Amino acid sequence: MKAVILAAGEGKRCRPLTLTRSKVMLPVANKPILEHVINALVKNDIQDIILVVGYEKERIMDYFEDGLNFGVKIEYIEQKTQIGTAHAISQARQMIAQDEENFIVVNGDNIIGPDAIYDLISGAQGDATILTCKKDDVSNYGVIVAKGKRVKEIIEKPKTLVSHLINTGIYLFRPKIFELIERTPISTTGEYAITDTLQAMIDNGMDVTMAETNTEWLDAVYSWNLLEANTIVLSDLEADNKEGKVESGVNIKGAVFIGKNTIIRAGSYIVGPVIIGDNCDIGPNVVILPSTCIGNNVSIASFSYVKNSILMNDVRISTHSNISCSVMGSNVSTGPNFITEEGKDMLIQIERDLLSAEKLGTIIGDDSEIGGNVLVRAGNMISANCRISSGKTITEDIPTNSIVI
Amino acid sequence: MCGIVGYIGDGQAVPILLESLKMLEYRGYDSAGISILNGTLETYKMAGRIKNLETIIPENTQGSIGIGHTRWATHGKPETKNSHPHTSSNISVVHNGIIENYMELKERLIGLGYEFKSDTDTEVIAHLLHFNMHNSGEKCLLDSLAETVKELVGSYAIAALCADEPDIMAFARKNSPLVIGIGKGSNYAASDVTALLKHTKEVIYISDNEVGFLKADSISIFDHDGNSVSRNTETIEWTLEAAEKAGYEHFMLKEIHEQPTSIQNTFAGKLSELEGTVTLDELYLETDEIKRLKRATIIACGTSWNAGTLGKYLFEKLAGLHTDVETASEFRYGNPVLCGEELTIAITQSGETADTLAAVRSSSSYGCRSIAITNVVGSTITRESDSVLYTRSGPEIGVAATKTFTAQLIALYMLAIHLGRIRGVVSANEARDLIVAMKRLPGQIQKILNRKDAIKECATLFSDKRDCFFIGRYLNYPVALEGALKLKEISYIHAEGYAAGELKHGPLALITDETPVVAIATRGHTYEKILSNIKEVKARNATVIAVADDDDTEIEKYVDIVIRVPPSHELLAPVLSSVALQLLSYYTALARDCSIDKPRNLAKSVTVE
Repeated sequence: MKAVILAAGEGKRCRPLTLTRSKVMLPVANKPILEHVINALVKNDIQDIILVVGYEKERIMDYFEDGLNFGVKIEYIEQKTQIGTAHAISQARQMIAQDEENFIVVNGDNIIGPDAIYDLISGAQGDATILTCKKDDVSNYGVIVAKGKRVKEIIEKPKTLVSHLINTGIYLFRPKIFELIERTPISTTGEYAITDTLQAMIDNGMDVTMAETNTEWLDAVYSWNLLEANTIVLSDLEADNKEGKVESGVNIKGAVFIGKNTIIRAGSYIVGPVIIGDNCDIGPNVVILPSTCIGNNVSIASFSYVKNSILMNDVRISTHSNISCSVMGSNVSTGPNFITEEGKDMLIQIERDLLSAEKLGTIIGDDSEIGGNVLVRAGNMISANCRISSGKTITEDIPTNSIVI
Repeated sequence: MCGIVGYIGDGQAVPILLESLKMLEYRGYDSAGISILNGTLETYKMAGRIKNLETIIPENTQGSIGIGHTRWATHGKPETKNSHPHTSSNISVVHNGIIENYMELKERLIGLGYEFKSDTDTEVIAHLLHFNMHNSGEKCLLDSLAETVKELVGSYAIAALCADEPDIMAFARKNSPLVIGIGKGSNYAASDVTALLKHTKEVIYISDNEVGFLKADSISIFDHDGNSVSRNTETIEWTLEAAEKAGYEHFMLKEIHEQPTSIQNTFAGKLSELEGTVTLDELYLETDEIKRLKRATIIACGTSWNAGTLGKYLFEKLAGLHTDVETASEFRYGNPVLCGEELTIAITQSGETADTLAAVRSSSSYGCRSIAITNVVGSTITRESDSVLYTRSGPEIGVAATKTFTAQLIALYMLAIHLGRIRGVVSANEARDLIVAMKRLPGQIQKILNRKDAIKECATLFSDKRDCFFIGRYLNYPVALEGALKLKEISYIHAEGYAAGELKHGPLALITDETPVVAIATRGHTYEKILSNIKEVKARNATVIAVADDDDTEIEKYVDIVIRVPPSHELLAPVLSSVALQLLSYYTALARDCSIDKPRNLAKSVTVE
């Protein structure tokens, strides 16, 4: 069976991190979200993958190449403008033969486990099958109203509670879906949505069914949700693999993964679950506490303290820094004494919406350069490619390409 | 620099040969052909790309032994009659290299009654092989080949089939690359490992003056005197997908994008910023030897030579070592004055560049220590040099070198810092600054790639121009040379790289409003000087494009367009500027609709002299 993975969208709500890469490439447990999706498919023996790419596609192609390192064969197809899921799926039409029985469609930006795919395949029947799962708060999702396994209605972001079953965006289709997509009208929001195609199928009396999964299905809606997803995925980290070099006098507790050519210098204290990538230089005397992920080619200088954070590739942290509940984009560098304040039950304003974050320090976009003695007050974000002079206290969001003097 | 392939085993030879040839197409692509042995010998050949060849091979062609060839013309035009394989009766031969005494052999063979169908040097091998098989009693294919190659002067990698011996493929090598792949129930031969990756990662490199034969389940190798040679197999680390385009339109763009990774792989595990040291375990040079060095000679061709030119500045600045940069094809025919206390540094992506190899052999003969900087593990240069620094870039398929150029620079930086530390020229503190700057390069290159749309816009400026100049000073001079080489080789725009101070000694006469000038103007101690050079060309109405630091607010007053790169250490900035110029060349060639990965008249690995 083939799988079509939708990976063309940006994921605007995860800005500033998605200014330079799409949401599918955001790292959770040091792997892009998309890699978790591909792994789930591989474990179900699905190796033929069609990746629908668009926004920042080179990042995806550079990482996955032809898929051989990930146990799959990837074909790329470009969706030039992002005008809806139905349109994205239709891009794969020429790659799926009419005589194939069925194929899977999955979003590249939600973390799923292998069991979710298994539940979909084993529970599939009828003309199309939607994989659902139960959520307490459904206000941000598409909700499924069903009778038995038969789907009656799909309601986007319901205002009143009609069902706890949400649409995971994972489907099993037959090739005839492509004809139906062609007939899908454009929605009021200007998109061709696959849910409209499915609703039309239901309205025309076709057999649209649901399969249910109760396995993990994680959606990082906003950038800070990455930290929660990271914590959940890391809690299963068993690997205690240390390919790098650990100097004597380093204390390591719990599950800690240390990549190739990485050096952990004397006096450092690391409590897992923690993943550290390749070619990093950590310490001496650095403390890294649980649920932290560090990418490749990262340097953390002495007397720094990192807790519950994601540091992407090529980040450089100078001495005496304190980084807590924060996400730092790739190629961010900080001077000495850089401090992120940690806040609880924060309210974050994104455009006109006021959103809550359970615990948050800061989010910093790629390529930003931060001087010494900078304090970021909890919940304030620094966008991509900013320069912040030494001694500043950041008390508001800093837009892209800013220079703070 | 043609490519040869061979297959013997239990499968169908045709699809395997065609697939392997496509992987070698970068070595040459003006004609191609195959011979299949299935009771009788069937040969198909055609001018043009391998896809042209595919159209003339009958679909039901059976046979599990075959040889194939993709050609880059040296003797004889790219026409079907000059395509390999060349045959003589029931013998078929493919050859990569140049037979220098072919005229003489050809006349002799014509005198013996052989009829020549092509203008190539290779056809003499086929006829000579036939003559040796039947001349004095009947000889087997292997013995005849051994006898034949003793009469050849020049370079060759040969694979040969004979219908009388339907279960073997014979091979021979001298000064042209040949690698044998070992499969299960099948064996392969090829000019380089990329052709074999799909089938096996276990390979044996054949050495000069060796001959041998493959059967489906065995390999026999003999030296020049006919003694049996046993050889260990080597395992190739490259993966196949690295040799495929993975969604990109061109290998060149894919390879430009791979630079954050290839640079990191090249320095991985060798840098310690805390100690300010570069550890090069693979360098077999004693501390005393390093301190005693009087001079270094960098030998290279093409893009590698441009990297070497930067290397000169680095070795002189960081290691206090007088350094000459030599074009390999000139060095070997000149009169090098060598006494044995020099270090020879050979730079070759493929490790097979014929002129570079010959130059290294000649310098070694004076007792000079040699270091090779190459991308191909097990290549010939690695066996001819005392030490090897690898640029861990994976296979580079685009004919225009990109990721291997920047990785070569990294190898040179590391070597210069290492030598400089031992020779006491660079302090730990200076070395630390350089190492930090080096570790920042992958992230900074990614930043340039993120902003490539700005460079794409800039490229439209060139697409209708005939000439273009690249200028730079000090470390930016090699960047200008490489920028010009990239532009001319893939976009066919006439481009010259100049040391900016040299402009007024001649080339300024060529500057008009129709000749854009690219000035590499990242900050450094020649910054003010390049600004005056920019004013010089601006005064002649040239459109000026500057490559400058992100935070340089002054430059835009003097130039028409600024291509921005992240600020770096003065010595490391050339890496970033080079990436920006690679993108500029790529998009210019794209706008001109050129064949980017396979420019006309060029081939990747120049294994002929």
